[in-house]
Amino acid sequence: MIQLFHVSKDYEGGVPALADLSFKIEKGEFVFVTGSSGAGKSTLLNVIFGSEQATSGQVIVDGRNYSRLPAREVPGLRRKIGFIFQDFKLINTKSVFDNVALTLRILGLGNAEIRSRVMKALTYVNLKHRANFKPLMLSGGEQQRVAVARALVKDPAILLADEPTGNLDPELALKMMQLFQEVNSRGTTVVIATHDQAMIDRMGKRTINLHGGRLTRR
Amino acid sequence: MISTTAMIYTVIDGLRGLRENIVTTVLSSLTVAFALAIFSLFIIIFANLNSFVEGMGDRTHIVAYVKDGALSTKNGVDEKAVEKVYKSVAGLAGVVSVEYISKKDAFKILKTEMKDNQALLEGVSPDILPASFEIRLAADKITAKDIRLVVESLKDKPWVEDIQHGTEWAERFGAILGFMEAAAIFLGLFLGGATIFIISNTIRLAVYARRDEIEIMRYLGAPNIYIKTPFLIEGIAEGAIGGLIALVALFVGDLVLGIYIPKELVFILDNPFSLLLLFILLLLGGLILGVVGSIFSLGRFLKV
Ligand SMILES: Nc1ncnc2c1ncn2[C@@H]1O[C@H](COP(=O)(O)OP(=O)(O)OP(=O)(O)O)[C@@H](O)[C@H]1O
Ligand SMILES: [Mg+2]
Repeated sequence: MIQLFHVSKDYEGGVPALADLSFKIEKGEFVFVTGSSGAGKSTLLNVIFGSEQATSGQVIVDGRNYSRLPAREVPGLRRKIGFIFQDFKLINTKSVFDNVALTLRILGLGNAEIRSRVMKALTYVNLKHRANFKPLMLSGGEQQRVAVARALVKDPAILLADEPTGNLDPELALKMMQLFQEVNSRGTTVVIATHDQAMIDRMGKRTINLHGGRLTRR
Repeated sequence: MISTTAMIYTVIDGLRGLRENIVTTVLSSLTVAFALAIFSLFIIIFANLNSFVEGMGDRTHIVAYVKDGALSTKNGVDEKAVEKVYKSVAGLAGVVSVEYISKKDAFKILKTEMKDNQALLEGVSPDILPASFEIRLAADKITAKDIRLVVESLKDKPWVEDIQHGTEWAERFGAILGFMEAAAIFLGLFLGGATIFIISNTIRLAVYARRDEIEIMRYLGAPNIYIKTPFLIEGIAEGAIGGLIALVALFVGDLVLGIYIPKELVFILDNPFSLLLLFILLLLGGLILGVVGSIFSLGRFLKV
């Protein structure tokens, strides 16, 4: 589902964020990406999502190579990917409901189905009672769960999550992990960046370890 | 690709944008209205003057006044001589009718024209007015040149005292109208360009104000039209609102100007189109300005 060949990413005037990364994630896998702060976890997810371009190397997602993907085909690929951003990226002028619904409207679903799916997703993340709130009226953890609901509501082929439990208490964090496992069991390929070592140990999944943008053994 | 529900939401988004940027929306709608109102006022005046001149063309006829004593015998009108003139004039190119107005006829016409002031004519001899030939030319083919040709061929006739015709006036008026036509094109281009510039700037501001939202929509895989449509709707709405304001402004302007303009000139403010047509034209004009303005802006500021 996701393949990287000798991928490097250099930000302008910075140290290399990713250096010669090669690995493969199979369809339906559940993978953690870990490493200390600044190790390149976010950069890796962004490169897989296509919001950042690799400086060199090939990134192939769902059979498509970003270096050869025409701009007009990018939206189609993104509609298959659910991304939980480290900074959430919610639209502050829209209600929680509309933020989550937007992704389904873009997919072209009908109103009734959107309504029931959004309410279900909000129930899963314990935010049903916040449906009509604007994001800025929510706590950080609540905003994070809106981002989770938005990524999960469309049953994506790939779920990319950047520190999805960073602002949550252990109990809620565990609940989110259970949601990710559920969506994974329905066929979604899941990639989660986190430095929550306890969680990684507890889940017992494959882990990609980064250090200074390189793969390391633990 | 994009479903109807999704489309409805982008439309709603566009209208929401109008409300969020109420000040710029109002300003650019007013700009559209101003440009359309000024331009239509100009076109209306132009159209009215034009049809006035055309109407003048219908009436452009030549009057040849007969010298006192010519074409007459001691007993009165020399029917034979008149008949001869008739025939020679009727044979000229472009002439459709010739009518002889005798001194008596002329006086009769004067009398009916001065119906309300009959007293003025008391004691006046019916002889004071000259007899004349009224010559009409084919209205559809009349050009200044035709008129001149007829005039030239009449000028040297011994019985002719004087010739009156509307050529010079019509020519001068035609030149003014030609100038107005050029001015209308220039004015239209200038106002249209300025309006498009202002609308495209409004849209640019709206795009800028919602750049985060646009970025997020891109991340969610929104197709381009999904992202652009709200702004297009915004531009279209501004154009349409502007068109409607222009219509109202023209009505009010018509009423106000009507008070100050001399009665003889009021006709230049008459709406030469039907009300429905004017409505459609203004709305269409506004829509076109709005669409072009926003497309212009989206092409430049919302590149993929
Ligand atoms: N937009 C950017 N411009 C320049 N340098 C960047 C940019 N984004 C990240 N970097 C650099 O790339 C390196 C990797 O950053 P990245 O955000 O991928 O780390 P991370 O593993 O996600 O860290 P964290 O756990 O703190 O989120 C860092 O050294 C960072 O300074
Ligand atoms: Mg990060």
